[in-house]
Amino acid sequence: MASVSEMYDVGWEEMRDKLRKWREDNCRNSEQIVDVGEELIGEHSAKLGDDIWIIYEQVMIAALDCSRDDLALTCLQELRKQFPDSHRVKRLSGMRLEALERYDEANKHYDAILQDDPTNTAARKRKISILKAQGKSPEAIRELNEYLEQFVGDQEAWHELSELYINEHDYGKAAFCLEELMMSNPHNHLYCEQYAEVKYTQGGLENLELSRKYFAQALRLNNRNMRALFGLYMSASHIAASPKVSAKVKKDNIKYSAWAANQINRAYKVSCDFFRKDLNALNPLI
Amino acid sequence: MGEVELSCRAYVKMYLHACLFPRCSVNGLLLSSSSAGGAVCVTDCVPLLHSHLSLAPVTQLALTQVDVWCSQTQQRIVGYYQANACASDCSPTQAAMKIADKIAEQFDGAVVLMLDGSKMSPDYRVPPIVMYERKDSRWMLKDKHTIMLRQWEETHGIAIQMLESGDHSLLVDFDSHLDDITRDWTNQKLNAKIAELASPANGNI
Repeated sequence: MASVSEMYDVGWEEMRDKLRKWREDNCRNSEQIVDVGEELIGEHSAKLGDDIWIIYEQVMIAALDCSRDDLALTCLQELRKQFPDSHRVKRLSGMRLEALERYDEANKHYDAILQDDPTNTAARKRKISILKAQGKSPEAIRELNEYLEQFVGDQEAWHELSELYINEHDYGKAAFCLEELMMSNPHNHLYCEQYAEVKYTQGGLENLELSRKYFAQALRLNNRNMRALFGLYMSASHIAASPKVSAKVKKDNIKYSAWAANQINRAYKVSCDFFRKDLNALNPLI
Repeated sequence: MGEVELSCRAYVKMYLHACLFPRCSVNGLLLSSSSAGGAVCVTDCVPLLHSHLSLAPVTQLALTQVDVWCSQTQQRIVGYYQANACASDCSPTQAAMKIADKIAEQFDGAVVLMLDGSKMSPDYRVPPIVMYERKDSRWMLKDKHTIMLRQWEETHGIAIQMLESGDHSLLVDFDSHLDDITRDWTNQKLNAKIAELASPANGNI
């Protein structure tokens, strides 16, 4: 089988830099990381200097993701040798146990870390991940709420909580989490759009109007967000069709939905020759 | 109730959809190009979402667009499939049943198909499928013996082969389409590839 360096005609420095980029962007392209990382470690470890340790960690996690326990164990053993008392490495041991579904042992690892260092957020989050993996959503939600009381600025945790609430159909609480995220990330169009989708799902005139506003806001922040564009069309159309709105509100929403329909049509005309979208197709929504 | 036949194309696309997003719950619609009456023949499927399956806007949009495409191509929506993120849990969610109810309003013999994540590896010789049908307004587990997969060995082989050669990355679901509207959620290219690999006996119904 051809090596990565042969297939893509790259040298070890480029492979190392690619791994760094993926680390910085927090990409979860685990199969690629395993391919590149395994070759880098196998053939060029001496050249990597101190970078090798963080690469071992990155490759180990990717290997767990791809059920490559052989590779994960190799990386873990190197890290254990180099950093025998490290909490960071202990957490990786725990993650390996999680991948092998040995959750009780994994929890023991994390509890040991927390005994030593009660502020270790990584260990706490792993424990919550175990609850999620075991399908114990209510417990995961409870623990995550407790975690967020202490670590109120943890964006990743707020987003995870919003996802858990959405899966449990607790849209009100999901909306609250997304509000926190929007406050601290006012320029993130994805949070606006997700918030709008939750409001739309909750239903009722007030929520529909809020959803329309936030779909519009998401579009202001990123005018190529198709979900926001469709969302604007659908929410405005539903509001216009509601018997409870005034003539003025009806008129305004017809205008918004027509604008959105126009934008959608244009987007499809420009992008797709084989895939002509007739906006009449969307009228059944009204 | 009656028999349900699952075509190679429908099975392979569902399988590849679940494999493309192993960490997410995925869902989609089951389609039929045969006329009503007799066995339900699922001839195709449209992969829909891999995120926020229970949120309404994109689901509503997708249902409408697929409906229109079906009426233009003489197909109908006959069911719904889902594969949960948690591989050991193959029970349908509340959101799944809501969509299924909507489909059942338009089609009497609608089915819900859950992919059993724990049985999807190549060494399992049995279809990793659990099906539900509607009896007296309730969704009941369907008898395995009323579910037909013609040429199962070959279908299974095609699914594994396409996964191993990375063809699952060609699959486009509605979510991916919204990320890039030039991508085709009807998956014509993938359909062609599947047809190439299938023998005439395992072709489209």
